[in-house]
Amino acid sequence: MSASLQNAVSRLLGVLREPASVHGLGLGDWEELIRLARAARLHATLGRRLMADPTLWAAVPEQPRGHLQAAINFAAHRRHLLELELRTLADVLPPGIDVVLLKGAAYQMQGLPNADGRIAADIDLLVRRADLDAVEAALAAQGWASTVSDEYDQRYYREWSHELPPMRADGHALELDLHHAIAPVTSRCTPDVERLFAALLPLPGSRFSVLSPADQLVHAVVHLFQDTELDGRLRDLVDIDGLLRMLPADDGSMRSLAARMRHHGADRLFWYALHYCERWLGTPVPAVLWPSPPPRPIRRVMDWMLVRTLLPHLPEARSAPDRRFAGELARLRYHRMRMPTPLLLRHAAIKIWRNARGLPRRG
Amino acid sequence: MTAGDPLFTTVGEWSQEELARSLHGDGLFIDYGACTVRVRSRAPGFTAAFRQVYRHFAPVRNADFTDFHVEIDPGKGVRRWLKPQSRFLIDRIQPFEPFAASHALPHYEWGLNWSFGQRFNQYVLLHAGVLAHADRALLLPATPGSGKSTLTAAMMLAGFRLLSDEFGVLRPQAGDLLPMLKPVALKNASIGVIRDFSAQAELGPTFTATRKGDVAHLAPDAASVALVRRPARPALIVFPAWRPGVPLQLEPQAPEQAFIRLAFNSFNYGVLGRISFEAVADLAAACPAYQLVYSRLDEAVACLRQLLDDQGGPA
Repeated sequence: MSASLQNAVSRLLGVLREPASVHGLGLGDWEELIRLARAARLHATLGRRLMADPTLWAAVPEQPRGHLQAAINFAAHRRHLLELELRTLADVLPPGIDVVLLKGAAYQMQGLPNADGRIAADIDLLVRRADLDAVEAALAAQGWASTVSDEYDQRYYREWSHELPPMRADGHALELDLHHAIAPVTSRCTPDVERLFAALLPLPGSRFSVLSPADQLVHAVVHLFQDTELDGRLRDLVDIDGLLRMLPADDGSMRSLAARMRHHGADRLFWYALHYCERWLGTPVPAVLWPSPPPRPIRRVMDWMLVRTLLPHLPEARSAPDRRFAGELARLRYHRMRMPTPLLLRHAAIKIWRNARGLPRRG
Repeated sequence: MTAGDPLFTTVGEWSQEELARSLHGDGLFIDYGACTVRVRSRAPGFTAAFRQVYRHFAPVRNADFTDFHVEIDPGKGVRRWLKPQSRFLIDRIQPFEPFAASHALPHYEWGLNWSFGQRFNQYVLLHAGVLAHADRALLLPATPGSGKSTLTAAMMLAGFRLLSDEFGVLRPQAGDLLPMLKPVALKNASIGVIRDFSAQAELGPTFTATRKGDVAHLAPDAASVALVRRPARPALIVFPAWRPGVPLQLEPQAPEQAFIRLAFNSFNYGVLGRISFEAVADLAAACPAYQLVYSRLDEAVACLRQLLDDQGGPA
């Protein structure tokens, strides 16, 4: 990794920690900052944080301010679409069933500060497995159809995943992911769904619910460190940082959050989340919150890999060999986390065989 | 508002070799007014066509802020030699399917329009030709196929300053228009019409059978390029429609009609919500608006000149 890239990344992290650190940036630094923030899908977030301080906002040079304003405008539009979509869905979903907003939709509808400027690509909903068929049927009746037509892929989603294949409806801008769990049923860490539902909070003025604040953190942590290939996912870490800062900092809340992570089997993943939040985003982490750390050699490997995958990079730096290798390693880790080895081998064999025969691939 | 030290020479004064060296290497930084673009290309044929239609542009040396990093790439690996294509990349991402290798320049122009339309949501982007005289701007908003580019090209050739043939870049707070000065993309019969209209028309090569039929680009003139950083104040809105064989008809448009037609001819009206509502309403309230139906280009140009001279005509 080049020195200038590292500088640019630490500058982005510095601005996320302390927006006032943009003072004194040259136009060239601004250009890199905007490009990196865009690569991490954090440019509207960055814009909102700067705009929150009028003096700071006025000091942003015209060109980068234009890019940030564009991102802020676009994010506001997406948020508006999200609200419209949720209103439509509220009428479509069968009454009496708990429907939980997850991730971006949940953060935005709760009005969490970390969601200001977040651009949600889709809507994630969670229902009990027992309610899945009824909800799917109600959506289908209103034109929501699976984007996956292949029979094997449909089976893969339904048997081994934690969500149905993404659904779309004509005339609707956002894709819908219907979940019955927050991690794949085959994965190493599978949070306890009944416990999640037992702690739901109603979203005021709406037919939807959200997970408890602690469970939102469990989900964010498990999602980032188990359910993604880590590539360019700094935004997910920023979500976790925002959720952590929202919690009351008293010992009791912290201990109960730590216990919640343990109960869901997520404390190893939580350690990583805390470690990188503290290191990169300056998140205050009270001592009682830390689970026991992973063994040192594993930490070293994770460190090497995360710096090269999770942090954004300028487009021109994409093809560096160490970055490619780190990406492959992260991909391998992702698959190992999601499925036991025999199942992974079987799934891979079927995929390779079908690709070789020229059958359509899942996206 | 300068974007760096301009070179003293324009693209047209560079040799083909110098230009190719820059395009293959670190790229050229082009100031379009509303944005600065770094363009790189290894695609065969791109350099020569680019040199023709950007002849009056002076590339910026050491641009201190670049808005878009764009490449036109001939394809990867063996394909590059066996079946070369033109791939448009922005930030190394290819947002749409490749074009035929021989269409590299139209692909660049089209891709840049797309990128600008996608990303520059800090401005209300009207689908309009924009010209100016003494910093008073004439907006020609229209749907594709209404002869907007042809009329815009003719107006430039008749001595008006060209700001854009595609984008009315309206700054919401200031209410003025920024140039987005690019070569004017002429399609099919318009190419010959413009060639016949003026001996001064500097046209690039004609690309046959592109997605939009035959396309040739008219180079913006030196006077327009010289003022590429200078905004203009909207003074007049004219919705043009070319129809064969009809006599010229000019019909005033009420502000509310103009508002609706402007909003309809906008790339991002829906995205910007209240911002665009207010900016477009202010624009429609401030400028007299007309519908112009015409068949003869010289008559249309004379009519628009008269209207602009009259400070927007008899309101």
